[in-house]
Amino acid sequence: MHGKQPLAQPANVVFLYDGSFEGFLCCVYHTVYSRQIPLAIYTPENTQPTLFEERSITTDSAQAQKVRASIPAKISPAALEMVETVFLSCLAEKELALLKFLLLGYQQGSKILHMLGHPDVAPVLKAEQHLQGERHLLLGFVRFSDYGGVLAATITPKNFILPFLASHFTARFSQEDFLIYDKTHKAALIYQNGQTRLAPLEEIEFPDVSETETEYRKLWKQFYHTIAIEARYNPKCRITHIPKRYWQNMTELAELL
Amino acid sequence: MDMMQKLTILADSAKYDAACTSSGGDRAGGVGLGSTLAPGCCHTFSADGRCVSLLKVLMTNDCIYDCKYCVNRRSSEVPRTTFTPEELAELTIQFYRRNYIEGLFLSSGVLQTPDYTMERMIEVLELLRYRHNFWGYIHAKTIPGSSPELVHRLGLLADRLSVNIELPSEDSLKQLAPSKTRQAILKPMGLIAGGLQQNKQELALYRNTPKFAVAGQATQMIIGATPETDFHIIRLAQGLYNRYELKRVFYSAYIPVVEDTLLPSVDTKPPLLREHRLYQADFLMRQYHFNADEILSEETPNFNPYLDPKCNWAIHNMHRFPVDVNRASQAELLRVPGVGPKSAQRIVAARRTGRLGMAELKRIGVVLKRAQYFIITADNPTGPKVGKETTIRALIDPKVYAAGVEQLSLFGPQGPGGLALPQAQDVKNATEAAEEAVLCMASNL
Repeated sequence: MHGKQPLAQPANVVFLYDGSFEGFLCCVYHTVYSRQIPLAIYTPENTQPTLFEERSITTDSAQAQKVRASIPAKISPAALEMVETVFLSCLAEKELALLKFLLLGYQQGSKILHMLGHPDVAPVLKAEQHLQGERHLLLGFVRFSDYGGVLAATITPKNFILPFLASHFTARFSQEDFLIYDKTHKAALIYQNGQTRLAPLEEIEFPDVSETETEYRKLWKQFYHTIAIEARYNPKCRITHIPKRYWQNMTELAELL
Repeated sequence: MDMMQKLTILADSAKYDAACTSSGGDRAGGVGLGSTLAPGCCHTFSADGRCVSLLKVLMTNDCIYDCKYCVNRRSSEVPRTTFTPEELAELTIQFYRRNYIEGLFLSSGVLQTPDYTMERMIEVLELLRYRHNFWGYIHAKTIPGSSPELVHRLGLLADRLSVNIELPSEDSLKQLAPSKTRQAILKPMGLIAGGLQQNKQELALYRNTPKFAVAGQATQMIIGATPETDFHIIRLAQGLYNRYELKRVFYSAYIPVVEDTLLPSVDTKPPLLREHRLYQADFLMRQYHFNADEILSEETPNFNPYLDPKCNWAIHNMHRFPVDVNRASQAELLRVPGVGPKSAQRIVAARRTGRLGMAELKRIGVVLKRAQYFIITADNPTGPKVGKETTIRALIDPKVYAAGVEQLSLFGPQGPGGLALPQAQDVKNATEAAEEAVLCMASNL
């Protein structure tokens, strides 16, 4: 590797951590100080039986803080942002991918974000693009219903994009109160009286919809079906642009499933 | 008439307008309701696969004109209705709050006079902007023949203005839309371009100058109702981009809705593959720095149905390839089939950190299926070694198979200098046609 000694070597060991970002940073700490790159990094929810040594990594704020500070100092502030973002993505084995990305970064410095063709960099950038792409789609696909003046919506994205949706919707609907519930990640973005917060939320039950709400839903569905041109009917093209997994939460498409 | 019926009629009459984009302006929210996003935002896609971004409706489908191709022409017997400004503003707001839409696209039939119609449209937009404090996206269509003062007022309220050029030539206009002249269409376009220029200067001097059509202007034309060649159309588009600072030109495949001896028969299929090729050429002009004369010429005035315009250019300019990805300029990279503006940029950034081979290019996002025939890489310093036929076969646009021979036959026969590509009547199916086209193109190179 460019004549430099690698920071750690692959070892037959599996890391177990608590799933938090701090916990992940401690996995990085442990890798560097034990000089061992694990085969896999599992959380309690996402674990597989393995024949290899399992090592529990306890979350330690001091260690985590040390690693967090090292990223902007030794790589770049953009690299820290990248790692924080991709940690919220749906990339399979994201912990291991991010660990390899950081190990390379500690060696290469800030240019790592330009090494777009490198096998340890490309998957991370791709995961970030996937997350940002899904965020952009959701900016349009979120469907609110009006429950007595409060707007509420449910989404089921693959990536945990709620934190990235906040700025857009709070700016756009600054005078409203609204809630976006992420069913996949069991969390809600709540905006009330000008205050935003992100909270874990196991379940949510919406009240019955009013007559006005039903009326606007009907008008919207009617508009949606009217605007399509029969002579250009192209359902395949529609699926390409709006994959079926988004349909369940969308007023005009849910009933076509 | 209730809201449901009105909306159905006025959305149905607006659906043939191609543009539904909400791009070009970036207005942070925070005051009142709404914001706009520079890249635009699609809220859903209709069954025809088109993006739905705006509530696209006519203010009225009542019209004093009698344009032959139009569903709302005076002589057509369809139910007529008109939104009141309050109704339309309320509907926009309620759709917007539910995040159904990015804003309003307002067009209209001509009620009484062009000026009267424009005043009614301005009334709707004033209600939205000043009563409802709505700052989402508004695209307004100016009415041909209205006064400059009204165009200016409309521009101060809307994010984007557009004037439909309708048909690609003066002759076609005369035949099919006798009440609209080329002059009546180009004049407001010029006015808007002038307004944009002047506004830019005023904004530089006075920060609080009201902004005029921040997202610029656009236009659209109908393709396939009249006999213009593709070369004529893209040259026209290029001229419009240069002269009137247009943000976009939209092409709309003609869909027969009316029986008229001057028009293609009602059972004609819309020329969707041709429309697709026009958009591809349009992209090449806007984002790839191509000139219309490089894409087509007087000798080959129509698109090759089997290849996209960029691939078609590449195989006719083989002397410019292969290109070394580790050395070539960004502009040269942009000309390689399979390399887009993003991957060209990424290649330039990535090669500073090390030489690039096929594996790196694949990870960067280059479409190697096409690009491999045109590049030199670190692991392939001599470049591709395959025959012309193999190259062309790999470049055939898969859309051709989906389009079928019926669509292929819509492309005009090529001129004397061009290729005599197989026509629908010569072959059984699109696959066969494509294979014949490959052999034919290869032997002509």
